[in-house]
Amino acid sequence: MDILINALEQMFTPATAAFAIAAIGLNFHFGLTGLLNMGQAGFMLLGMYGYAISVREGLPMWAAILVAMGAAMLFGLLLGWPTLKLRGDYLAIVTIAAAEIVRYVGRSNTLVNVTGGSLGIKGKDYKGPLEDLSPFPDERITVGPFTYHGSASDSWWLRVVAWTLVALFLLLFWRLSNSPWGRVLKGIREDEDAVRSLGKNVYWYKMQALIIGGVIGALGGVIWAHGSAVVADAMGRPTTFWVWTILLLGGAATVMGPVVGSVVFWAALSLIRALAKAFIPESILPSTAIEPFGLMLVGIALILLVVFRPQGILGNKKELAFHA
Amino acid sequence: MFTRPDTRFYKAAGLLLIAAAAFVIATLVLGGGPAEAETVEPVAAGTSTATLVIQNVINGLAFGVLLALAAVGLSLIFGTTGLSNFAHGEQVTFGALLTFFLSTNEQVTIPLVPGSFSIGLPLWLAAIIAVIVSGFTGWLQDKMLWGPLRKRRVAVLQQMVVSIGLSLALLNLLQWWMGASRHRLTNASGGRVTFGDFYIGTQTLMSVAIAAIALTGVALFLLKTRLGRATRAISDNPALAAASGIRVDSIIRLVWVMSAALAGLGGILLALFDNGAGFDSGARILLLMFAAVTLGGLGQAFGALVGALVVGVVSEVSTVVIAPDMRYASALAILIIVLLVRPQGILGRKERVG
Repeated sequence: MDILINALEQMFTPATAAFAIAAIGLNFHFGLTGLLNMGQAGFMLLGMYGYAISVREGLPMWAAILVAMGAAMLFGLLLGWPTLKLRGDYLAIVTIAAAEIVRYVGRSNTLVNVTGGSLGIKGKDYKGPLEDLSPFPDERITVGPFTYHGSASDSWWLRVVAWTLVALFLLLFWRLSNSPWGRVLKGIREDEDAVRSLGKNVYWYKMQALIIGGVIGALGGVIWAHGSAVVADAMGRPTTFWVWTILLLGGAATVMGPVVGSVVFWAALSLIRALAKAFIPESILPSTAIEPFGLMLVGIALILLVVFRPQGILGNKKELAFHA
Repeated sequence: MFTRPDTRFYKAAGLLLIAAAAFVIATLVLGGGPAEAETVEPVAAGTSTATLVIQNVINGLAFGVLLALAAVGLSLIFGTTGLSNFAHGEQVTFGALLTFFLSTNEQVTIPLVPGSFSIGLPLWLAAIIAVIVSGFTGWLQDKMLWGPLRKRRVAVLQQMVVSIGLSLALLNLLQWWMGASRHRLTNASGGRVTFGDFYIGTQTLMSVAIAAIALTGVALFLLKTRLGRATRAISDNPALAAASGIRVDSIIRLVWVMSAALAGLGGILLALFDNGAGFDSGARILLLMFAAVTLGGLGQAFGALVGALVVGVVSEVSTVVIAPDMRYASALAILIIVLLVRPQGILGRKERVG
């Protein structure tokens, strides 16, 4: 019973919402446009740094959010400029390399006064402004089987904010993907040359998609940071791969895919961990191995998904976005 | 694609030398910067920046040769199948960790098998077995996974995402198997060979020699043997190769075996160079391998060597100016810059892009 409640709890954590947001961003890249952005974690990390450092240095909250979005926008411009004219796998390699550069620079000791090095930035340095906005009382609140603090850190307030943002971005994706603009992006995904022959500036459309998705990813990072802390190594390559798994699990190019993917992903991971702990004896699966065991299954799930059900839970096989 | 080195090669190598020289000079000029202020490395008093740079060039070349050995398989696979294999880093780790597993006197375990034991083979024998087993994992992968995917005509980008899943699975399997700590293949500290102000570790020197021999072997294989010619033919044009009676599938399987075995050997040598290996040591250098392969021109086997030397030297020499914990960032930055000016890579041909 506890196992089930735990899994249910995992479905609505701020982290789940943050990954859903990052996956919505990736849905703009991959689902709509067919861009292989393998550096979504880099966008998230930039957003986290942009927000946390701005707040720590005394900027108001709205300015910090703008800084986070601006950082992601610049990053997208910088990445897209050399690579969007090249074949898809170049974008993949460059984005993953750039995301790693962000991480290496962020965790480096040289910038320890700015980014906090490998220890990162502590929550109390940047969580204040959002927590001050909370309408909930400053105490632990229990609803049904769940108990969280009203407004501090991993709180009810953060859950409300995070899922409101998810809803907003879903709405944005839904509107944009059905707009003329979204149809051009889908056209690029299906046949770039055909769209180009219609006189559209494919390069610029791809750039717009890359930037919008990246900015959304950065805001996902900001949410994630409010649930835990700003640590560079939490946003390594595995994070990007999880976002991909989430998107492909839910269904690329669908509106609800990222949310369904994120909810199922985190609930399943929590279930696997709990069940493995409860039923597999310690001599076969020591407790230190449970984490890698669960994540190994994530990798296997990604393989099986891509091979056998590339459209994911909700997707339509005809709207499949793997075009070389 | 695997054409003999021709004038392009010498031109590119010349360009590269000039660029490298410019880089070294720039470092010399900037050298008084942050590195000295923070004393990131215990530099003996009186060591000049020039000495430091040259010492780093030596380390970088050594690292580059080892990186090339690990990366050449990545390039071969890309050349013959078009796949950017993200699980290649785990092949590198596997070689190193299997060698440790076979040679250590500590207690080791296997996932899902209760109990611990130690095998304790001599290092050289363990390394040979590890390379053979690595090659076998390449065969198995192609038999179980990549071959069927090719047969189903799964798109290359889709296969790339499969390789990402495989990398995630193998990385965590390796962590499950060997834990999160680093393991040393040998406790012998080895000596160092000094010449003038400079030195190189004996172990490193031997690793580099072995890597150079293996790389020469690969080059001879590609240029001189029938199978090597068939491999190059498939890289150039798989359909034409198949029509000329080359058994494309068996050659690709051979390429997978070679690639995995070379990655395993590279991993072992890198672990000797690096004084140890952990479950993520291959994943750490995966992007450097990609950088090397892309720099040289995707799919160009000889390009991987050139690219790896560039990556090795850049990452080591850059520590003179920036902190050592950012050295890989500088190599990746070079990758992005090269893609800006010469997207086909140093040795690549223009028509292969876009």
